[in-house]
Amino acid sequence: MRRYETIYILRPNLGEEEITKVIENTNEIILGDKGIVIELNKWGMKKLAYLIKKETQGYYVYCDYAGTPAAVAEIERKFRIDDSVLKYMTIKTAAAISDEQIQLAVSEVSTRETEAQAAEAAEEEVTPEKPTEPNKVSSETTEEATPEKPTEPTEPNKVSSETTEEATGTE
Amino acid sequence: MAQRPQKKLFSRKKVCRFCGDKELKINYKDVKTLRNFVSERGKIIPRRIVGTCATHQRQLCEAIKQARQIAFLPYSGSTQG
Repeated sequence: MRRYETIYILRPNLGEEEITKVIENTNEIILGDKGIVIELNKWGMKKLAYLIKKETQGYYVYCDYAGTPAAVAEIERKFRIDDSVLKYMTIKTAAAISDEQIQLAVSEVSTRETEAQAAEAAEEEVTPEKPTEPNKVSSETTEEATPEKPTEPTEPNKVSSETTEEATGTE
Repeated sequence: MAQRPQKKLFSRKKVCRFCGDKELKINYKDVKTLRNFVSERGKIIPRRIVGTCATHQRQLCEAIKQARQIAFLPYSGSTQG
């Protein structure tokens, strides 16, 4: 088993059903090859840095999973055929992952998600029902627990604009 | 050779930001950090200017290229070309 993460961009004009269909299809391939989905996150609509197939926006889906190289090849083959997928990228994050490590990662993700949910609930002061138990198979919990807003990468708080200024000064 | 003394005027010790701050991880998904190491045109800023160490510059370079692939960062031009 290897650990991969795949990001794929879907066309912005797709309906909710079509999006879930694509996600389900990819999950099926992973699970069909005895892989495990560790994290599935819909980042939602994002502006693209450049045009892809004449689209300025795209629907980002992030998927972290343990699987085999064959599964990755199959997923990418499907993506190439599927017209609704604008672009995809798979990155191998670990060459080998044991079952324990998978479980650890899954539980880590689920705790992070429940925390995020709790924080969100505290903000809204309306408590939605929480997932009672972090399930072993993450695909169920993650689908429930995906937050509405696209999760942005962690904010680099200690980054100052010093070097960029410096750079422009010396150029 | 004539440039040598001039360089002294604004020489400040540049430190690798990733060595100084161990919390800061290079990740292609962290666009906000990567933006600091890319010029307005979207080019990767050379090491001699930003002052990152060789190891981190290499990782940074890869991260930026990965971010470009998945349209987090532009290949060229500021935002939308």
